[in-house]
Amino acid sequence: MSILGLLMCFIGAIFIGPIPIPLDAWQESAILWDIRVPRALLAILVGAGLGLAGAIAQAFFRNPLADPALLGVSSGAALAVALSIVTQTWLEMMLSDYFEVSTLHVLRSYAIPLAAFLGALTSCYILLFISRKISFASVANLLLCGIAFNAFSSALVGVCIYLSDDEQLRDFMFWTLGSVASANQQSLFWVGAVLIGVVALIYPLYQSINALSLGEDIAHHLGINLKKLQVRMILCIALLCGVSVACCGMIGFISLVAPQMVRMMVGSDQRYVMIFSMFLGGLLLLVADTLARTVALPAEMPVGIFTSLIGAPYFLYLVKKRAAAFHG
Amino acid sequence: MDKTILSIENLKKFWCSESKLAVDISQLNINLGERIAILGPSGSGKSSFLKLIANDLRPSQGVIFFHGKNLAQWTARDLSHHRAVLPQSAAMNLELPVSLIVSLGRVSSIDQTQKNSITQECLRLSNASHLTNASYQILSGGERARVQMARVFAQLWDVKDALLLLDEPFAALDPYLQIALLKNLNQFATERRITVMAVLHDVNQALQFFDRGLFIKSGQLLVDASLDDISKHAFEELYGNQFLEFITDNKHRFLIAQ
Repeated sequence: MSILGLLMCFIGAIFIGPIPIPLDAWQESAILWDIRVPRALLAILVGAGLGLAGAIAQAFFRNPLADPALLGVSSGAALAVALSIVTQTWLEMMLSDYFEVSTLHVLRSYAIPLAAFLGALTSCYILLFISRKISFASVANLLLCGIAFNAFSSALVGVCIYLSDDEQLRDFMFWTLGSVASANQQSLFWVGAVLIGVVALIYPLYQSINALSLGEDIAHHLGINLKKLQVRMILCIALLCGVSVACCGMIGFISLVAPQMVRMMVGSDQRYVMIFSMFLGGLLLLVADTLARTVALPAEMPVGIFTSLIGAPYFLYLVKKRAAAFHG
Repeated sequence: MDKTILSIENLKKFWCSESKLAVDISQLNINLGERIAILGPSGSGKSSFLKLIANDLRPSQGVIFFHGKNLAQWTARDLSHHRAVLPQSAAMNLELPVSLIVSLGRVSSIDQTQKNSITQECLRLSNASHLTNASYQILSGGERARVQMARVFAQLWDVKDALLLLDEPFAALDPYLQIALLKNLNQFATERRITVMAVLHDVNQALQFFDRGLFIKSGQLLVDASLDDISKHAFEELYGNQFLEFITDNKHRFLIAQ
């Protein structure tokens, strides 16, 4: 059923837009095949990746409000991208002594995805380190650390912006706002490959991840190799967030809202949460992107702004609901 | 001679610095199938001692041998086939159904068949059959304790000669359920020759259902003897208050704190 829903929205999305697609000749429409289909596919894949990343992060920190974007994984990735943009000329000068010009060219094209992934991975490890000292099972701790972490990365991104020239500045805008407009075959390939790889790596472990929900001690008593499991989960979150930031910039709240809604519908069994979070994440981002590029015609809103506009109030509502559940 | 399952040599655990000694036990042997009650006043180091044996904490000094092998060298998976742990309380943020929690007891088991029927049977053993389809989050403390107990039963269902570690397992239960569960636990352990080590607060439960008493005070092993042989005086020294002693016609001993 979820596949059917996604397919229908996909078809709907590619026919909605500023330039109408002639219904009798849709097979030949360049706008449809070259622009809207890749864009809709990218929205679905990135949304699915973010949904899965959120599901894994919530299980990892044993907190249904944990979210890679909120915790600062995405902003860590964006920071790394910003750093790589600012230091690009300098880095190339350093490396030109060791590499041929052609290798350098290849390196440059991978610099941003690589930086995004490394940034996400570093943030994940820092968060893991903090959560060992201060339990993230408590909502307050989680949010406070998220605030601190996000503020720190934004400050550093601010430094990068201060140091950058006009062209670099425009690049930054793209990464901090988030948009799936840049869809092409290459980005589709990367997001798809990472998504498939992560699912293959993490989905067979759903039972161990369930055991982790019982608490680290109990999971250990039940024979789970905690270190191995946690490293895998972190790697998956970093891969998913890294690739999505590299392709589309920062898109907030999909990774929080999709698994949250799935939990409300099917409970917290990771076997279902992971799969349905992917479907719902893909669906949400597709709908959000379709709205983002149509509500303010002929202009286009970056989808990242749009998801935050809707997601932030929803998040507040969730926090209020949880607080109410604890206090009466 | 009985087979040794656990032996401890010069075990020491410090908090922060060497000045804070949490556990200090020079020599201890536990035999297969024994039922051991760990007693002591609050904050005496009972739970830390249990955590050391559970491999949750690493000793600062000394070695714990489990089945003849240094505990630090066991992998989590192998260990889970030979010992189960029921911690004091288990808080959970994520909403899992009770039947899933119990079946997670078998997440590392070699035999993955019959999971459902084992889950049902274990829930029955811990008097929690009626909770099968409930959500853990809405359960009371006593109900949660029973679900966790069932999870432990599920882990040891097809295991012989295992070690079961319990930390105040019955604190949140009413007196009727405490006794019912202790009886079921006793039977479960006897059928599988399971060694039970339990941190208890209720002296009389220890006297009724356990063989051997370990008295721990300030991290030190004060008394290690058969519970029948431990005098009222030793109990009074352990807790620092007076006890009244009753002996029923069928030689059951009860102690009441004054």
